[in-house]
Amino acid sequence: MKSSLDFEQIDRFKEDLDKCTKCGFCMSYCPVYQEERVESSVARGKIMLIRALLDGELEATDEMAEQLNRCTLCMTCAENCPAGTNVPSVIAAARADKVRLKGLSFPYSIIYRWLLPRRRLFGYVVRLASWFQGIFLPKTEGSIRHLSFFLSALGKGRHIPQIAHKFLRQSVPEINSPPAGVEVKYTVGYFTGCMTDFVFPELGEKIINFLTRNGVEVVVPRGQGCCGAPVFLGAGDFDTGRKMADVNVKAFKELDYIITDCATCASAMKDYIKYLADNEERKREYAEFAGKIKDITEFLVDMVKLPPSAYRVAGEFKGKTVTWHEPCHLGRYLGVKEQPRKILQSIPDINYIEMPDADRCCGMAGTFSIYFYDLSRKIADKKVASIKSTGADIVVTDCPGCQIQLIDSTTRHGMPQKVMHIMELFE
Amino acid sequence: MLNSKHIDQLRRIVGKENILTSKEELLVYSYDATNMWQHLPEVVVLPSNVEQISAILKLANENLIPVTPRGGGTNVSGGSIPIKGGIVLCTTRMDRIIDINKTNLNARVEPGVVLQDFQAALAEEGLFFPPDPQSFSGCTMGGVVAENSAGPSCLKYGVAKQYVLGLEVVLADGTTMKLGGLTPKNRTGYELSMLFTGSEGTLGVISKITLRMLPAPKATRTIVAVISDVAVAGETVTEIIASSVLPSKVEFVDNWTFEKFRGLLPDEILDKSQVILLIQVDGLPETVDAETQQVVALCKSRAGEVRVAEDQAETDRYWQARAAHFSDISSRAHTIINEDICVPRDKIAEFIKLGQESAKKYDVPISFAGHVGDGNFHPVVLTDSRDKEHYQRSLKCVEEIIEIALSLGGVLSGEHGIGLEKQRFLKKAMDPAAIEIMKKIKDVLDPNHILNPGKIWEETSDEE
Repeated sequence: MKSSLDFEQIDRFKEDLDKCTKCGFCMSYCPVYQEERVESSVARGKIMLIRALLDGELEATDEMAEQLNRCTLCMTCAENCPAGTNVPSVIAAARADKVRLKGLSFPYSIIYRWLLPRRRLFGYVVRLASWFQGIFLPKTEGSIRHLSFFLSALGKGRHIPQIAHKFLRQSVPEINSPPAGVEVKYTVGYFTGCMTDFVFPELGEKIINFLTRNGVEVVVPRGQGCCGAPVFLGAGDFDTGRKMADVNVKAFKELDYIITDCATCASAMKDYIKYLADNEERKREYAEFAGKIKDITEFLVDMVKLPPSAYRVAGEFKGKTVTWHEPCHLGRYLGVKEQPRKILQSIPDINYIEMPDADRCCGMAGTFSIYFYDLSRKIADKKVASIKSTGADIVVTDCPGCQIQLIDSTTRHGMPQKVMHIMELFE
Repeated sequence: MLNSKHIDQLRRIVGKENILTSKEELLVYSYDATNMWQHLPEVVVLPSNVEQISAILKLANENLIPVTPRGGGTNVSGGSIPIKGGIVLCTTRMDRIIDINKTNLNARVEPGVVLQDFQAALAEEGLFFPPDPQSFSGCTMGGVVAENSAGPSCLKYGVAKQYVLGLEVVLADGTTMKLGGLTPKNRTGYELSMLFTGSEGTLGVISKITLRMLPAPKATRTIVAVISDVAVAGETVTEIIASSVLPSKVEFVDNWTFEKFRGLLPDEILDKSQVILLIQVDGLPETVDAETQQVVALCKSRAGEVRVAEDQAETDRYWQARAAHFSDISSRAHTIINEDICVPRDKIAEFIKLGQESAKKYDVPISFAGHVGDGNFHPVVLTDSRDKEHYQRSLKCVEEIIEIALSLGGVLSGEHGIGLEKQRFLKKAMDPAAIEIMKKIKDVLDPNHILNPGKIWEETSDEE
């Protein structure tokens, strides 16, 4: 029998574990269950596995890890659970305890412990991967992928844009002031995230231009790193995650607002306090940090309160039909549901159409899509059907992770839709 | 019993991606939505078609391996728990809606179709399948038939058996049998489809279902009444129905689960009330208007607050709060004992009164909720199985409540079935001669007792 010490992280979420009454409502909401139709996919099954782990009935084996990892952490079960069970929290905690007990397996130990926390080096490795992407094409058989896939998943094999020739941090200054004559209403820090930095730097430039034009001074702190989501939420490495959190807290210390264009980064950073605060000082710092974070659409609608006329649609997108994919991390984690829709509905130059199940998970879920690429694709196929049914010309979203998944899946289906970040619509 | 050779044979039947054998995969088929029971299977198979079901059963029958059929595993009487180990035969991958015929008002489905998905597909055609167990979001059609499921709408529209036109069933020896047909009338021989409807998986495995549909009502409206006293709520229901209005649903929630209604109804009224009645009327718009007025007038004389939901969003919120009841009450205690009695409608108020007295006598908390319009109640005793003394008192209270229901002319189970949970009461609730006949039918259809063994009646030592 394991002592409770072995599962100190799970223990912190014991209340969530105890709440589940096994009613099985989660079956109707779980995107993984809907593909697999096995009980181990769904929240109820995962809760029962973790309970068995705590009771000593089952052990922290690789099979157990595989079962628990087969979750996109989309939070749909938690949002709809009549008993209020939050399974994603327990799963994230269980991953952390597994890492503490067994360590990270190679090659993830290299990537998570060593590479992701070193922002510059990570950039070089990503670049290197982009050169070797022909060699590292993803294979779709089997469920566990390794280093080559991890890096090539960012490359050509998945029908995504190439790694940028010039990263965002190399092309914009640290302080970006509004043009002469425009009054400074806010000064914000811009957390660029890995995807915008390495893959979509032009999005970052657009956001900076948009904000400065509308009276927001944008600081891009050079000290910022990866948000840590793949490390502490995906892989359960809380120790490394904590180091990454501290780096970001320090980088944005002097700023009152932190703007993000990636819902995953924003929610992961807001969750530092939930998972990583191991002492009073960190609790205080992480709470303060979380309070500053605003998604870009949330900031524009709730704080800057821009009029519809400020959203000047770029010429090439005028008159187009646009639909919206709501990222899990935006809607269910951050509670930002109305703001992007308000923007889209208010612009006269586009025709906005809501897709069915706009808030359904796209199946990307970061490292989930690397471990379970086939499953991830099947979940994406449902999203693709929703997109198709709208007949839209453009799909916009607010998470570069979702964006990569949507580009990959629409391309796979030979669909004409252009996939973009919502902020790319504008001049 | 089951050995590795059998596992290999099963793997050949269903394919390697449809058989589960690891400890982790087995653990998650050891339970259903019932509170106290759990037992590990030795293997789980997920067949894709009727031929595979037949081959699995033939193998199991020849080797005397227990087989527990399972769908979504949302059963609340322990029916889908593999209490004897062996094989769990899970139908969730047979999830095709074969066809929906609007002219014939019927539909054919595989057993693994989720009820909610089926309802959604029917709604697109303007059709309606009334049974609506509150597990609709996870339960499967095979279970709906095998458990003869019901739910709120059954007050006006009846339970699952009233909609079964035909079944394809695989018997314990692997024989596939087609029963009934596509037509609403069929007087050909015995009503064998009814034998399998409500059989709790003990007589055969349902592999295809033909169901009768109804056109969806053109209009519906939800009325909510908050009532200070439980007995008054019971009288209100009796009076509504006596006034010649037959609502499609009349649901009852007591103040144990008011939390889900906070924000929807005024706190000051909820704080001094014991019951929320949710009433739905449906039909043609004119009928709905008239019946709504009538129900509102009847409720107003007794309720602290009466509301008519103004739009679909408000309506959905009330019904979601109702659907959350079971889970909500389950989360209030370590152990709950959830009963499912049904009493004649004119005995509702009396039943509640006596039930409350019994709970007081045994000093245990009790919650009443359910489909009060048809007298089907789910009294829930909240206890903790780790506290032996409290748990024993709770069991005694439950026993007394069941006796009260039976003495008022009621039945042991309105819709959950007997499974494991209610076996100990069966002898009190059913004519001994009828129990004997059930056993004889079982012997004819499943002589080796491989199908869902250990369910419905308590086994005597020679049966084990």
